[in-house]
Amino acid sequence: MRLHPRLTGLGLAAAIVGELMLAGWITIRLAAGQARLAPVGTPPGGVVSAPGTAPRGTVMVGAVGAVGVAPPADVVTRSALAHISAEPAHSLQTWLQFLARTAHADVAARMTEAGLLRRPPGRRLPRRARPQAPVDPNTALWPVGRLNLAIQRGQRLDTREALLLGLVVATTVARTVLWEPDSRHLSDSIATLPAPFRELIAQTKAAVGDAVISPR
Amino acid sequence: MSLTEHRTTSAVSAALAKDRLGVPSVVFFVMSAAAPLLVTAGVVTTAYAVTGVTGVPLAYILLGAILGLFAVGFVTMSRYVVNAGAFYAYTAKGLGRPVGVATAWVALLAYNALVLGLYGIIGSAVEPLLGDWFGISPPWWLIALVFWALTGVLGLMRVDVNGKILAVLLLSEIAFVIVFDIAGFFHPAAATGFSPEVFNPGNFFAPGFGALLAICVASFSGFESSVVFAEETKNPKRTVPLATYLALAVITVLYTISSWAMIVPVGTDEIAEAAGEQGPGLLFGLAEQHLGSTISTIGSVLFATSIVAAMIAFHNTTSRYIFALGRENVLPAAFGRTHPRTGAPLLGSLSQSVLGLVAIVIYAIFSSDPLVEMFFTLGSFGGFGLLVLLTTTSVAVFAFFAKNPGLKNAWRTQIAPGIASVLLFCVLGLALINFDKILGVEPDSLLRWLLPALYLLGIGLGIAWAMFLRAKRSEIYANIGLGAQAAVRRSS
Repeated sequence: MRLHPRLTGLGLAAAIVGELMLAGWITIRLAAGQARLAPVGTPPGGVVSAPGTAPRGTVMVGAVGAVGVAPPADVVTRSALAHISAEPAHSLQTWLQFLARTAHADVAARMTEAGLLRRPPGRRLPRRARPQAPVDPNTALWPVGRLNLAIQRGQRLDTREALLLGLVVATTVARTVLWEPDSRHLSDSIATLPAPFRELIAQTKAAVGDAVISPR
Repeated sequence: MSLTEHRTTSAVSAALAKDRLGVPSVVFFVMSAAAPLLVTAGVVTTAYAVTGVTGVPLAYILLGAILGLFAVGFVTMSRYVVNAGAFYAYTAKGLGRPVGVATAWVALLAYNALVLGLYGIIGSAVEPLLGDWFGISPPWWLIALVFWALTGVLGLMRVDVNGKILAVLLLSEIAFVIVFDIAGFFHPAAATGFSPEVFNPGNFFAPGFGALLAICVASFSGFESSVVFAEETKNPKRTVPLATYLALAVITVLYTISSWAMIVPVGTDEIAEAAGEQGPGLLFGLAEQHLGSTISTIGSVLFATSIVAAMIAFHNTTSRYIFALGRENVLPAAFGRTHPRTGAPLLGSLSQSVLGLVAIVIYAIFSSDPLVEMFFTLGSFGGFGLLVLLTTTSVAVFAFFAKNPGLKNAWRTQIAPGIASVLLFCVLGLALINFDKILGVEPDSLLRWLLPALYLLGIGLGIAWAMFLRAKRSEIYANIGLGAQAAVRRSS
């Protein structure tokens, strides 16, 4: 099913930020009353989470983010990281808006390159009207399927899965892709995420909400 | 543009600035809900007919001036408000969250009444056209139902009328209205055409002037949305105020002159009767006399498109408003859901459609005159609610800057909002006194108090709900007024 392009863009933008956070490249800090993205290694201007409560199970701080380590191999996240490192003064909201503009095309290109997506055959429709299709539907559906199974079985989700879940909820597609969108386990899984990830989910929800409200 | 493109100063700001708006775009967005022909042909004629007051032009001047004064403080405060497009965000910040929730509920009542009112007038616009073209004349409610369905479906698809189409329609409407105005001034009625009566301040005290203000203020609704674009403009400090004043000025001048131009060829002594007999047809009859049938037909078509555009705009604005309230849990959270495919505010749109259907059915069964009983009554009722909103917001602006002194100069923060508040209170009082005229009932009828009391009920329930939230759900209470940004919980 096709999703609303603006909301999809914001969701993918948040996912790119989330990938960078999961890999420990950046984190979210509060500065001047705003949530900002900070490349790990910059002096903290006040961390969102209280010290000690956060990164259990995450690889956020320390070795990975140390200066001089090779940048992410993947071109989408590398490019995003380069922008964020160059201009760290922007708010997370600004980053989401900025990345959302191109996120869909960027991620689609990455998936095509990785052999996950392809253009369906047929030349009667113009390129834009032929959405890209997954090469293997099973691979495409696996992450959400696994998520659904885990929720159904009441399994504990790891940070990556819980973040995906949070973004699915924040971008309003939960009712479309989840089997049990009102499950208690679902809200609990999101609530136990480390604070920066919860902040990312909340900010995504706010950006999506603003996009829905905006008359443009 | 790809992410890896060459950076100059700030790649991010530059990329985002590409879509930024200037003054003309914001004025256009704001005026798109204004629907000039709906106002000139629909609101002005019914206002003349129902109130019997000839001072409609005076009412527009007065309201334009008061709203201009109101806007001074409003745009100044908008920079300190997160969810700047909604009045309740201001009252929550200036007068406390309980007042904010109360205002939100008043707004829900008022906006819904305005949307519903439009179903009462679409018939009178479309039926003559169907008669001319196909020789059929379906009942008003059938026409209303067709456009109700259209609005509902488009609402769920999150289709806004395309900006360019809207611009063409808006400009055509304004052009038609201006031509009509000029023609009117060249064909004055012999005796009372240019009577100074229309600008006589004595009108203030005419019974019915308050009713006039209530229906006329509805013509301005939507001007406050300019502040929504602050984040999206090139220079918010300059663009937003300028666009707001400009939009207000254009609306005021256009409606003042047009309502006057309608009276000139008819005469002050006969306008009420003529408008009562012909309704919106009065304007198109005059246009046919002075400009020929082709132009008159063009006008009639534009009148219909004007109403439809306003229906869609109001429906979508109200859905988004309901959505924002759902997102911050002032309404049940279910209202904060969207249609995944279209991003439309699902329940906000559906609930309005249900309400619209109920209203059309009820009026179809009980009403003989949808133009007066549905369009005018509900329109004025909504306009009255809008006056309540404007008054409370004006007081909230004053209170906010009184609590936070030294933010801006005294004119913008205290004097203008202060005067605007007093004037808005007077207008509100006048409208309340004339509520019998709005409903067309006897002055001692109970109904005249019952309908305004609905707003009191909304206020009471809103405050009670806020108190409940404060006691039981403090995390929701803390975020009242933040709209979609309420998702970002800050305890401060």
